Amino acid sequence: MRIDDYKQGNLEKVVEAGEKAKASQERLNAVVSFCDIEEQIKDYKHTQSDLLFQTPVALKDNINTKGTRTTASSRILDNYIPVYNATIVDKLKAAGAVFVAKTSMDELGMGGTNLNAYTGKVNNPWDLQRISGGSSGGSAALVAEGVVPLAIGSDTGDSVRKPAAYCGVVGLKPTYGRISRYGIIPYASSLDHVGLFTTTIKDAATALEVLAGRDDNDMTTSYKPVEKYSSLLNSDLQGKRIGVIKNVMDAIEDKTIQETFKQLLDKLESRGAIIEDVVFDTDLMNALLPTYYVISNAEATANHSNLDGIRFGVREDGDDLTSIMINSRTKGFSSEVRKRFVIGSYSLFTENQDKIFRKAQKVRRRIVDALKEKLASYDVLLASAAGSIAPYPDESYGEKLSATYLVAENHMLLGNFSGYPSITVPNAIVDGMPVAVNLLAKPFEETLMLSIAKAIEEECGLEGYCREVSE
Amino acid sequence: MNFEVIIGIEIHCELKTKTKMFSSAPVSFAAKPNTCTNEIDLGMPGTLPCVNQEAVRSSIKVCHALECEIDPLVRFDRKNYYYSDLPKGFQITQQFFPIGKNGEIMINTDDGEKIIRINRIHMEEDTAKQFHHDDGSYLDFNRAGTPLIEIVTEPDMRNGKEAAAYVEKIRNILYYLGVSDVKMEEGSLRCDVNISLRPYGSDTLGAKSEIKNLNSISNVQKAIEYEIDRQNKVLLSGGTIDQATLRYDETARKTVLMRKKEGDVDYKYFPEPNIFPIRLKEDFISSIIEQLDELPDQRKHTYIHSYGLNEYDAQQIVANKELSDFYNKVVTNTKEYKLAANWILGEVSAFLNKENIAIDQSSIIPEELAIMIDMIVKKEISGKQAKEVFEEIVLGKKAKEVVKAKGMEQVSDENAILDFVINVLDANPQSIEDYKNGKDRAVGFLVGQVMKLSKGQANPAITNKLIVEELKKR
Repeated sequence: MRIDDYKQGNLEKVVEAGEKAKASQERLNAVVSFCDIEEQIKDYKHTQSDLLFQTPVALKDNINTKGTRTTASSRILDNYIPVYNATIVDKLKAAGAVFVAKTSMDELGMGGTNLNAYTGKVNNPWDLQRISGGSSGGSAALVAEGVVPLAIGSDTGDSVRKPAAYCGVVGLKPTYGRISRYGIIPYASSLDHVGLFTTTIKDAATALEVLAGRDDNDMTTSYKPVEKYSSLLNSDLQGKRIGVIKNVMDAIEDKTIQETFKQLLDKLESRGAIIEDVVFDTDLMNALLPTYYVISNAEATANHSNLDGIRFGVREDGDDLTSIMINSRTKGFSSEVRKRFVIGSYSLFTENQDKIFRKAQKVRRRIVDALKEKLASYDVLLASAAGSIAPYPDESYGEKLSATYLVAENHMLLGNFSGYPSITVPNAIVDGMPVAVNLLAKPFEETLMLSIAKAIEEECGLEGYCREVSE
Repeated sequence: MNFEVIIGIEIHCELKTKTKMFSSAPVSFAAKPNTCTNEIDLGMPGTLPCVNQEAVRSSIKVCHALECEIDPLVRFDRKNYYYSDLPKGFQITQQFFPIGKNGEIMINTDDGEKIIRINRIHMEEDTAKQFHHDDGSYLDFNRAGTPLIEIVTEPDMRNGKEAAAYVEKIRNILYYLGVSDVKMEEGSLRCDVNISLRPYGSDTLGAKSEIKNLNSISNVQKAIEYEIDRQNKVLLSGGTIDQATLRYDETARKTVLMRKKEGDVDYKYFPEPNIFPIRLKEDFISSIIEQLDELPDQRKHTYIHSYGLNEYDAQQIVANKELSDFYNKVVTNTKEYKLAANWILGEVSAFLNKENIAIDQSSIIPEELAIMIDMIVKKEISGKQAKEVFEEIVLGKKAKEVVKAKGMEQVSDENAILDFVINVLDANPQSIEDYKNGKDRAVGFLVGQVMKLSKGQANPAITNKLIVEELKKR
C-alpha cells in the first residue's frame, strides 16, 4: 500500500487498516500491542495538505507512546506504559498519522532475526516458515503484508535495512542526527538510528520529510535544514558514479543473488550510470562484526541499567534491594540479551578497556576513514543487502564466522559506524521471495541517495510491492 | 605526633541553576517529594540528556576562581553502578576530561598562609534522596539530576585546622560566585575527607580512611582530629589501618565505620555517547570571567590597600558576603572607609545580632548610613546625635529627614552663632570675669549656654572658637 491510497480515501480506511493488522496477527505474529484507533480519529483535524493525512502507521515497540504499552519486546517492560511520547511520535501525529500497532522486535533491538522477541517469532509474509529478519521485523512484515503503507523501525546494526530486504520493502536509515532518537528505547546510542519502511521510494522520501529535523531533546540531532525530499526526487542516473563493494559480492555464494545483482548493474549502466568495483581492506571488513559487538554491547549494558524493576517495569521479589534488581533482571531478560550485557560489561572492565573497548573504538575510526575515502570518488556505494533470501529459523541461529557471514551479512554496519545514510531497495523476486540491494551515501546526501534508489525502483518494477497488491 | 598526616578533600556542591544538569525539570530544594522531576530524571527508557548551559557557566566561574586551567572541550562520561538512588544505572560525570584542573587556593590559619592545590573540578549530576523507614525505603527524585560540581584537592592538608580553613574558604568563594547555596546542613555542599598517616620521611601514602558527608565546618575539624588520634593509636600499638569509609557521629564525637573497602569498585567509565564533545568558544569563556564579581580575597585586598582597613576588620567584613556587599554600597557613597567599617562592625552588627537578622533582611539603606557618616565627619551632627539618628535609620528612615525631624540641623553659620555668643556673654559677666582670671572652665559653661539658647543646633566647634575670640575682645 502507498500513502496516497489513504490520503485520497477516508478515515474508514484507517479503521480497516486496524482490522487488517488484527487479522494479520495469526499469520504473522508481528504485533505486540494494538493502538486505539477510534480514540485517535474521533477529533481528527488534519487536512489533505498534511503529509501523512489519514495514513495508518505502525511503530516499532521501542518507540515511547504516552499511555500505550511499550515493551521493546522484553519481558521486563511487559507492563511499562510510558508517560511521554518520543519526539517522532509527536511529529507523525502532527503530520496526520494514525497509529495502528506497536510491532514486534528482537528484544531491546538485540538481534537480526526477530526470533528473540518476548512474543515469539515474526513470520515472513512471503513464506510464513521463514524469518522476517530483525530487529524491526514486525514493522517490516506489516508493510510487506500491505497492512500499513508506513512503519517506523530503528537500525543499530542493519535492523531496518535487513528485514526490509527479507520482506521485500523499502528500508531507509538516514544520516545519524537527521531524525531525533528522543524517546526511542535504545540499543546502542552511538549506532542507533530511526529508520522507516515503505513500499515506494516516494513514500520513504515523504516520511523522511516528516521525521527529520533538529530536536533540542536530542543533542546529537543536526541543525541542517530538512530538504523537501519527496519533491526533489528524480531518477536521472546520467553520469552518476556507483561503487560496487566487491568484498560483499565476492562473499556471496548464492548464484541467484549474484545473477539478479548483475542484471541490475546492466540496467543501471544502460541508464548512464558509471559503475566501478570498490575494494575494502579484507581485515577491516572482517573486523566489522566483532567491532560492532564490542561497541554496541558496551553501550547497551549501560543503556539498560535503568531496567531494574525499581521505578517501572516488572519487579520480581527479593529479600533486599540488590536481590530485587538481580531477580528482576535475570527473569526480565532473555539469555541472548544477558549474553550481550556480559560481553559489553566485560569489554568495559578497567583491565579490558584498552584491549577491547578502546581498540574497538579505534577500529571503528579506521573503518569510517576507509569508507570516507572510498565514497569520495562515488555518489553511492552499492551491494546486495543480504547474502541470501530470508532464511528459515534454524538456518539463522548459528552465527558461523564464515566470510559470507562476516562480510555479506554484516556489511551494512558500515552505515551505522559512519552514521552515513543508507537504503535497502527490493530488486528482484526469486522463487516468490524478495531479494534486495543496499545503497550507502555521503552524510546528509539523502536526496541524491533517494534519487538513485528511485532509478533502481523503476528498473526493477517493484514499486508499491506488497502482499495485498500482488495477490 | 609520631606520624605525618595527609589529608585530601572532595567537595560536592549543588549548583543553584533553574533547571537540572541534563533535563528541563526545575531544581528545587524544598518542594514536595517527586514533584520536580520528569522522564529524564526518572531514567525512563528512551530519554536523552541535554547539557544545561547555565551549569557550564557556573562551573567556568568556579574554575576561574580556583585558578584552574579550563578545558574548552566539554566532554562527559558514564560512571556505571547499580543503586536505587541512581535512576539510569549510571551517572553522567566527567571522568576523563574534567572542565578544570591544576588549580590552587590560599588558606589562612593561625600558622599563616598556605597554598592548597586543586587537582580537578568536574561537572556531574546528583542522585535521588533515600529515606529509610520501618515500612520500607522511600525515594525522592527531586534531587536526581541536580547539577553538581566536584572539587578535588591534592593531599596537601596536614591537620584539621587546615582542612576546616580550606572548606570555609571554598564555601565562601562558591557563595560569592553566587553559584550555590553552600548549605552544608542541607547537603547543598557536601564534604568527603580522606585521611592517612605515614612515618615522617616516607614517600608512600598509608591506608586511608574516607569520612563521608560531614555536615558542618566544625565537624570537619572535629572528625579529622578524632580520626588522626584514632589512627595514631592503632599504628602505635602495632595495628594496621584498613581502607574504609567512615561517618562522623556528632553525639558520640567519633568516627564510625560505614563499610570496609574491598578493592576498588570498577565503575567501567566510558564516554557518554549521547553528548558529543562541546567546543566552548574563547569569547564565551572570557565573557563569563569578565562579568565575575570580585571574590573575597580581592575585596579584602581592596579594603586593606585602598581603603586602609586593618587585616582583622577587612577579614571580618568579607567573611559575610552580604555584609561586604553592604559595606561596598556604603563606601560608594562616602570616602570615610574606616569610619564606615567601624559603624558596620560595631553598631550595625550589634543591631543585627540583637534582632537576630541578616543584613539583607534589615531595612537599613546603605546610602543613608553613608550620609550619616559624612554628617558626623563634617560635624553637622555630634557622635551622640549620630547614635540617635542610627536608631531611626535601622527602621529604614533617611538620615537627613531624621536629623531635620529631631531638630538636629546644626547651625554652622558664624554670624548666626555670633549672635547667640554675644547674647550669652552679655548675660554672663561673671563668666567673663572667671575667664580673665584664668578659669578656662568658663568657656565650657558658655558653650553650654549657647547650645541651650540655640536648642543644640549651634555647631559646637564654631561656638567654641567664637566664644574664645569674643572673650579676648572684652
